[in-house]
Amino acid sequence: MAATFQVDVVSPEAVVWTGEAELVTARTTEGDIGIMAGHEPTMAALATGSAEIHTGAEKVTVAVHGGFLQIYRNQVTLLSDRAEIVEGGADEARTQAQALREAEEAAQDGDEGQPQSE
Amino acid sequence: MASAELRLIRRRIRSVQSTKKITSAMELIAASRIVKAQARVEAAQPYTDKLVEVIGNVGAASGAASHPLLETRDNRTAGVLVVTSDRGLAGGYNSNVIRMAERKLIALKGERIDLRLYCVGKKSISYFRYRGYQIERAFLGVTDTPGYGDARAIANTILNDYAQETIDSVGAYTTRYVSALTQTAVEWPLLPIEPPVAEETDGTPGAAYTYEPSPEAILNRLLPRYLEASVFGMLLEASASEHAARRRAMKAATEAAEDLTKILSRQANQARQAEITTEISEIVGGAEALTVG
Repeated sequence: MAATFQVDVVSPEAVVWTGEAELVTARTTEGDIGIMAGHEPTMAALATGSAEIHTGAEKVTVAVHGGFLQIYRNQVTLLSDRAEIVEGGADEARTQAQALREAEEAAQDGDEGQPQSE
Repeated sequence: MASAELRLIRRRIRSVQSTKKITSAMELIAASRIVKAQARVEAAQPYTDKLVEVIGNVGAASGAASHPLLETRDNRTAGVLVVTSDRGLAGGYNSNVIRMAERKLIALKGERIDLRLYCVGKKSISYFRYRGYQIERAFLGVTDTPGYGDARAIANTILNDYAQETIDSVGAYTTRYVSALTQTAVEWPLLPIEPPVAEETDGTPGAAYTYEPSPEAILNRLLPRYLEASVFGMLLEASASEHAARRRAMKAATEAAEDLTKILSRQANQARQAEITTEISEIVGGAEALTVG
């Protein structure tokens, strides 16, 4: 069994996933990144896409839109405004991440007309 | 036929009791809301903690990182964000915050610093509008159950104004949820961002980080997120405080209604007794008059 490391996927409203994993893949702004135990300390900005966490026994797919990935002392933290666990494969996750992105853009457009009075 | 006095007292008892039904229902609702709001405050904590940790690490790694959001500017125009609720009936909750904010506004005016006022919640909006303050931006409908999107909208608004240098600092006036019994109105500086102090690293400098893309780019993205998270935490605490304050106010109101009912029903009993006594003495008097006659 491969060496494992601690992984936390955290969004502002909840801890989305936490546990030990053998391999994590994620999409950063610079391209896909694969992380195994003992990875050097890294700080990366996440893009819109899917992140996969392989625990050995199972594979968890998370749809992510924006945020950060920190690797520090054998701990991986995914911080994201929008992160959701998705059933199914990477394709579904990507679709979901895209939906998250659109939801955000829609929300921002909504803000434009917002200067509310009573 | 009940006398006028008795009828009046009974009517009051009915009115007090129906008010009591409302206040005790509101108390129960607020109590259940506190639990939820508190859970949300706790759920948001890991994100903020991690973000603080990351910023601390990046700050340590990139040395004295400079960023417009971190620099203190000459304070010519101060942004003031006031967080209150949309609804009243929450005891001193709103007035505590408003009083504190207004004191600050007056102090700023005294120092000849321009103001831009941002209000969250109907209560602060109507208060400051009535007093002739100009409100730059008002946010309604967020305080009951604040979502992250609400926090983002508020953070973006003040960030934009800060970036365009229309404001040089932002301080928020809000309520901290200390415990179920204590909530205190506080001043909460938002901008410039006070960089969170990096947690003591065990001698290993964070310089070993690999950045993708670059430390500056990361910091550029991190700091706005941090502001959003701060605002979000602030809104969540304010919301928990609001529900706690409302529960307390409604509990007091329910108890007052109970006391009042007790006093009123004693008065009613007395009035009824007096009425009976009068009736009896009238009958006795009448009978007496007949026998004498």
